[in-house]
Amino acid sequence: MISVSNLSYAFKIGRKGKENIVPVLHDVNLHVAEGEIVAVVGRSGSGKSTLLNLISGFIQPEVGTITINGTKVSGFSESNWAEFRLNHLGFIFQSFQLIPSMTAFENVELPLVLKGVGEKERRERTNEMLKRVGLEAFRNHYPGELSGGQQQRVSIARALILNPPLILADEPTGSLDSENEKELLSFIRELNKKYGITFLMITHDHEVASIAHRKVEIIDGYLKEGRMLHEVQR
Amino acid sequence: MKFKDKHRFVSSNMKKNKTRVWMTILASTIGCAFLIMLASIGFAIHKTAVNDVMSFRMVNEIQIQKEGGMMTENDVKKLEQIEGVKAVTRKKYTPANQLSSGEYNTFANVMSAHMPSEEKAGFELDKGRMPKSKNEIVVGYHFAEDLRKDVPENYLEGLSEEEAEKKMKELSYDGELLNKTLTYYMKTDNPAIKLDNPVQTLDVKIVGIGKKPAREWAHDNSVFITEDLYNEVISILGKQDPKIASSDKLKNYGEVKAFTASVDDVQEVTDQIEKLDYLTYSIIKELKEMNVYFTLFKAGLIFIGAIAVLIASIGIFNTMTMAVIERSQDIGIMKAIGATPKTIKRIFLLESGYIGLWGVGLGTLLAYLTSYGVNFALPIIFEQFINEKPPEGFMLSYIPWSLTAIAVTICMGVTLLSGWRPAAKATTVDVLKALRRDV
Repeated sequence: MISVSNLSYAFKIGRKGKENIVPVLHDVNLHVAEGEIVAVVGRSGSGKSTLLNLISGFIQPEVGTITINGTKVSGFSESNWAEFRLNHLGFIFQSFQLIPSMTAFENVELPLVLKGVGEKERRERTNEMLKRVGLEAFRNHYPGELSGGQQQRVSIARALILNPPLILADEPTGSLDSENEKELLSFIRELNKKYGITFLMITHDHEVASIAHRKVEIIDGYLKEGRMLHEVQR
Repeated sequence: MKFKDKHRFVSSNMKKNKTRVWMTILASTIGCAFLIMLASIGFAIHKTAVNDVMSFRMVNEIQIQKEGGMMTENDVKKLEQIEGVKAVTRKKYTPANQLSSGEYNTFANVMSAHMPSEEKAGFELDKGRMPKSKNEIVVGYHFAEDLRKDVPENYLEGLSEEEAEKKMKELSYDGELLNKTLTYYMKTDNPAIKLDNPVQTLDVKIVGIGKKPAREWAHDNSVFITEDLYNEVISILGKQDPKIASSDKLKNYGEVKAFTASVDDVQEVTDQIEKLDYLTYSIIKELKEMNVYFTLFKAGLIFIGAIAVLIASIGIFNTMTMAVIERSQDIGIMKAIGATPKTIKRIFLLESGYIGLWGVGLGTLLAYLTSYGVNFALPIIFEQFINEKPPEGFMLSYIPWSLTAIAVTICMGVTLLSGWRPAAKATTVDVLKALRRDV
């Protein structure tokens, strides 16, 4: 599903012409199989979010290649990336990233709107998705009127609405209490088991990482393969 | 993303900042209305001037003169052969211009006319018919007003202009003119000539009365006589005064006009006439020169008006820039989910387009209402402050569809241009910065 080869990335800090180059990732190679849940763990500043941002296309790699679902995405233009994200990727963010002026229904519906799906089909699919995440009663609520757990469920519903084969999650439980965290993790496992959705999660929480089939760790920009889920469980 | 969804998205965004959006629309409205109103003054003056010129003459009329001489019958024949010429009217003015009926008397503008050509050229009668025999005449619409009794001594003394005019009308002939026989007087003006019978008369019969002139102030007291009658008049006067008999001026035409079948032919016919070494003058020629001047004048006014639109566009630029800054997080989320830069740009261009469209729509409506109001109030203001009526047909503001089209194009163009930069800026919103994530 995801193939990252010899990926390196460095930030340029400071004024133009007098930039300081700060290397973040060094020669990263990562392969995520279809239907796998992979957790990327590491300390703050280790480069794990940079890796996710590169795979998401939010920043462009200078060295190395990224292939997702058989498509070489490194070198994509901004428009190509946008289309690719819409059709192949789902996102779950730590701070939910819902549009505050839109209701739960409108937030979930947004990817369908961007894709140009007809109004009737949109309504049906959005209602179904809200039902699936248990928020059908909150469809007309604005994000500010929902709890953190409910907001994250709206965010998941939005990520799933176009049935993407891959979901990229950045600290998905970071803003949730322990009860909501458990609920979310069990939902992720269910989605993976039932629908075969691939997950790549960034987390620093080992309990979150424990649901992954495989754990990889980034230490100072270098990737280190971790143990498999059954080993973690053992 | 479908247009309907973009529209819904933009409408909902506009509703969130109602006051700011409406203030921007108001600025655009005022800018657009100012542009139209300012230019409408130029258009009104142009229209008034054109109407004024055209009220004197017909559009398909070409006045012709010969350099250093009078127009002769040969000249008329040459002109009649030119392709596109519908009729050539020719007139000879007589020195005999007194006519009377009993105690009523007038000095009119008597001229001979070639009646078939006059008819072809579009001469219209209010009553009666065109002359068929020598002593039949056609008179102008106001002829009866000028056919009046002698003014008694001190008749108008102490009267105001209006009262005098009214009093004079009491002396005018108020009976039926058609088929009335008048006495036409012929006498030489030369004081050196002493004759036993200095005044000779002919009886003439009014068979037609000309149509009322289009202009209210125009006064038509002309008398059209046949060419045969004219020749007889000249022959009588020639016997009284040999100078008249030998005068070329009276034998040739004092006024020759060519009329084309359509307005489009005027230029071509004028060119052909000029090739034959005649001097020409036509409304089209005059309008052409006038139009150049007025086009420059109107362009100047539109340019000044466009400055107001430009100022209003700064408001749109500001509003849209603010919208982009305020919605950068939303833009970032949309981009992260899969909105292309093109979609983002179109959403913001649509928003500035809507602001412009509202501004243009309301501005145009406001301009039309103001224009109507100004033209309606102008005569009242004139009468109140100057104690006079404005010139007939005068308007201070005139908005043709072309001006509306120009204004709409300028306003929409400026609006879209001012919204372009913020829209382009929206596409460059950094997703990571917008999501406020730590990288």
